[in-house]
Amino acid sequence: MKKFSILSLALLMVISLFSVTVMAQDEVNLTLWDIRTASDQVTPALENAIERFEADNPNVNIEHVPTQNDNYKTKLRTAMSADNAPDLFMTWGSASLERYVDADKVYSLESHMTEDWESNFMPAAMDLGRVDGEMYGVPVTNVSPALVWYRTDLFEEYGLEVPETYEDLKNVVKTFTDNGITPFALANKNKWTGSMYFMYLADRIGGPEALQQAISREGSFNDEAFIEAGRRIQELVEMGAFPDGVNGLDEDAGQSRTLLYTDRAAMYLMGSWAYSSFKNEAPDMLDQFSFFNFPEVESGKGDPSNLVGTPGDNYYSVSTKAGNKEVAVEFLKYLTDAKMGEELINIGNIPPFTGISEKIDDPIMEKIYNSSQEANHIQLWYDQTLPLEIAQVHLNTTQALFGMEMTPEEAANQMEEAAQEYYGE
Amino acid sequence: MMINKLKQLVIYLFLLIWLLITGYPLVFLVQNSFKIRMEFFRNPVWSLPESFTFQNYIEVMESGFYMYFINSIIVCFISVAIIIIVSALASYAISRIDFKFNKIVYILFLAGMMIPIHSTLIPIYKLTLSMGLYDRLSALIGPYVAFSLPISVFILTGFINDIPYELEEAAIIDGASRFRIFRDIILPLVKPAIATVAIYNLTLLWNQFAYALVLTSSPSKRILTLGLFEFQGQHGINIPLTLTALFLSVLPLILLYVFLQEHIIKGMTAGALKG
Amino acid sequence: MMNKKELMNNKYFIAALFLLPAVIFSLVYLIIPIPLSTYYSFFKWDGIGAMEFLGLENWSKLLSDPIFWSSMANNFKLVLISLVVQIPIALFLAVLLTRKIKGANFFKTIFFVPMLLSSIAVAFLWRYMYDPTFGLINGFLNLVGLEQLTRSWLGDSNIAFYSASAPIQWRFIPLYMIIFMAAISNIPKQLYEAAEIDGANNWQSFFYVTLPMLRSTVVNASVLIIVGSLKYFAMIFALTGGGPNHASELMATYLYTKSFTEMNMGYGSTISVALFLVALIVSVVFLNFSKKDVRN
Repeated sequence: MKKFSILSLALLMVISLFSVTVMAQDEVNLTLWDIRTASDQVTPALENAIERFEADNPNVNIEHVPTQNDNYKTKLRTAMSADNAPDLFMTWGSASLERYVDADKVYSLESHMTEDWESNFMPAAMDLGRVDGEMYGVPVTNVSPALVWYRTDLFEEYGLEVPETYEDLKNVVKTFTDNGITPFALANKNKWTGSMYFMYLADRIGGPEALQQAISREGSFNDEAFIEAGRRIQELVEMGAFPDGVNGLDEDAGQSRTLLYTDRAAMYLMGSWAYSSFKNEAPDMLDQFSFFNFPEVESGKGDPSNLVGTPGDNYYSVSTKAGNKEVAVEFLKYLTDAKMGEELINIGNIPPFTGISEKIDDPIMEKIYNSSQEANHIQLWYDQTLPLEIAQVHLNTTQALFGMEMTPEEAANQMEEAAQEYYGE
Repeated sequence: MMINKLKQLVIYLFLLIWLLITGYPLVFLVQNSFKIRMEFFRNPVWSLPESFTFQNYIEVMESGFYMYFINSIIVCFISVAIIIIVSALASYAISRIDFKFNKIVYILFLAGMMIPIHSTLIPIYKLTLSMGLYDRLSALIGPYVAFSLPISVFILTGFINDIPYELEEAAIIDGASRFRIFRDIILPLVKPAIATVAIYNLTLLWNQFAYALVLTSSPSKRILTLGLFEFQGQHGINIPLTLTALFLSVLPLILLYVFLQEHIIKGMTAGALKG
Repeated sequence: MMNKKELMNNKYFIAALFLLPAVIFSLVYLIIPIPLSTYYSFFKWDGIGAMEFLGLENWSKLLSDPIFWSSMANNFKLVLISLVVQIPIALFLAVLLTRKIKGANFFKTIFFVPMLLSSIAVAFLWRYMYDPTFGLINGFLNLVGLEQLTRSWLGDSNIAFYSASAPIQWRFIPLYMIIFMAAISNIPKQLYEAAEIDGANNWQSFFYVTLPMLRSTVVNASVLIIVGSLKYFAMIFALTGGGPNHASELMATYLYTKSFTEMNMGYGSTISVALFLVALIVSVVFLNFSKKDVRN
């Protein structure tokens, strides 16, 4: 018995050893949670901003806690649930931010929005950081529209032109399948990847109004535009436009881009961040990549300049639990200053800040920037526009469409049912 | 003679097939850990690396991996030590002391095996906060021990049930206390089962990450499994680097297993899992 | 002094002392979440904001939720597959390795590797095994002229569940292998000698000596497999995320998706309580049956 009590005593002592934390009095310690892991391209820029801020404010110490994307969501939700939010944290704006604002977890930045700071941001990007007209999160990274990336050399080899209409696209698809090349590299285990096709087709067919009306309940989610979008997806599936077993491939493991790099696929509908992926993963092939806007659908209502995507990818906020909110807000200013903007551009990211166009000299990035400026309408990703409950149904039914496990009508009806349940009809 | 040789051959054939099936992952991890990011995407994953570069190993070691490793060792070993002591004590009581509720207590411990980890995340998080253990390595020990207890009690109780009662009778007649019987008679006899419990829990806890994800925050408190996610960005992952980290994280377990194997198997030979 | 001695002779007190540490750990970390989850299951709650009382609505929704039932069916399939695959293979390997053969230690070490690797590593490997274009499995089938058997292993909802179950078998066989190995080497040699004198061959001594002696070990291993399969999560979540179209959904992956991805903590808690009850009932029934059998 004695042996055991001594052992357990020793264990207790070891445990209590971990518990010692030292904190000086007049220092300000802030904790920042986000997804900027070691392999994230933005990480060096973010860490520089922290360093610059700490150098200018020697009494401040910012602890940066990066967590991988999916894990981050679980971690943040658990902490929020127990009312233990970090001082500074990151969201994706709009719905992902609104939930925390509604639960009083986020500090309003409205009183700090000087004209000077406000004019720093692209207006469209700022909108996603606002809830009920008040600013709660500032956009820091990437204006990211989804674009159709393609292998210019493969298009040349088969004498193909950039498709302007859906019919053209079908011809391109046919040429590639005839020659044993998968037209689109797509990995749809992740669901949001296939969702891009649906969003573009719905926009090109029904225009931005289709979704707006479905949400405002003047229209519905089983309107013709959505059913037709589903039909076209399945038409493409039947033509062999996507890789085998597309719903089992993992975008996070790069199973889509591998096809692109090994000449097995020719096109890739993906957010503009794909460009930084190419830079990292296949730098010697960079000049073989370009992009075009998703083609127009004949007799459709959507303008082909319309984009799907986001004007700002990641939003940084201060929590109501933050120890020193003034300092935290000051830090946000470093995170969105000109220096940060420059560093982001250097890694192939288009920051949602004003006055960056002249700093961009990479032709592809310039092209991305221009097309987002010229866009008639930018539709935010469905999974961020729609309430979480409906968004999940959208992702699941779209995946089922790609798997030919659901008819376009069934998918649309499921969406409408979910909407009716959510809106309490 | 011929037949015996043939038999041997067949046995080795089976063993070799299984060797391939189980051994290949290690080869896979090692061969891809020498590739660079671009190479991984451009060549089949089954191909040999174009050149052997230790770049990934250097990068992983520089990423704080060493500290995560120490953290994992501390948490796992302390947890396993506590699990062994606590579950052996409880199993002895359930198996040997007739206190009327033995069966109910046993079933309750069994029920503990059925609880899905993810439904405990938020309750345990709140509890950890209120105990002031948030963001401390010691916060992990409680849930680790609690979640390993049911299975450990299950294994050990079955084992103690099998020990002939006569061995203790003499000691009881001599007036030895229950604690002495436990320490001097039972504990030496259940060593093999303890070895099973230890290796089983160690492998599970070493690879656990849900609790560490929510209960710790500072990088200095990070454990190895969380460190593995460092090489995954928002829209892309450095796969060779991740595989290198995976290989380096499993290496100590393999070495430990090789080192202890003789010991464990010999220990378990005295008796193993019985019911 | 007298008092203390009396106390130490009181078996209730002693039992309590022995059980105390285990009870504290279980109470704090295991028992509390159950009533709490049950409580949450009566609410509409996103885990963050206000809770809205629903009564039994989540429960009636659960009973008519086809995805919940199909995920439970998958769990039971996983139990069956795991029992049928893991126990025989583990037993077979254990018998081979406990014979006197050269290099047994080497084999034992490598055979244990799958158990040591984390689910993340295992999922990585199998993801590339299953890749329809570059994967080893389809590559091998093409090589030996069985093109018609190539599949999109994880993308086809008819087989995704089985494909994702394979690595689970692969990973846990070593555990039962070492458990059986230890049990086999524990069987008294005299029994085999006696069987040999009676003229039994290898097969006969396996069926008449080894197997009966391993009975309780096999029963206990089965309980571990049953419970493990009913609350399984890791590899399925990593490989398919429960998809495509819920084809490989398990109760635990469904509860995770509901609670943390869709932030429907109330419904997620309902699933978790249901999972707990199902697993408890199945294992208690199984244990009772197997114990009765032993007595006969």
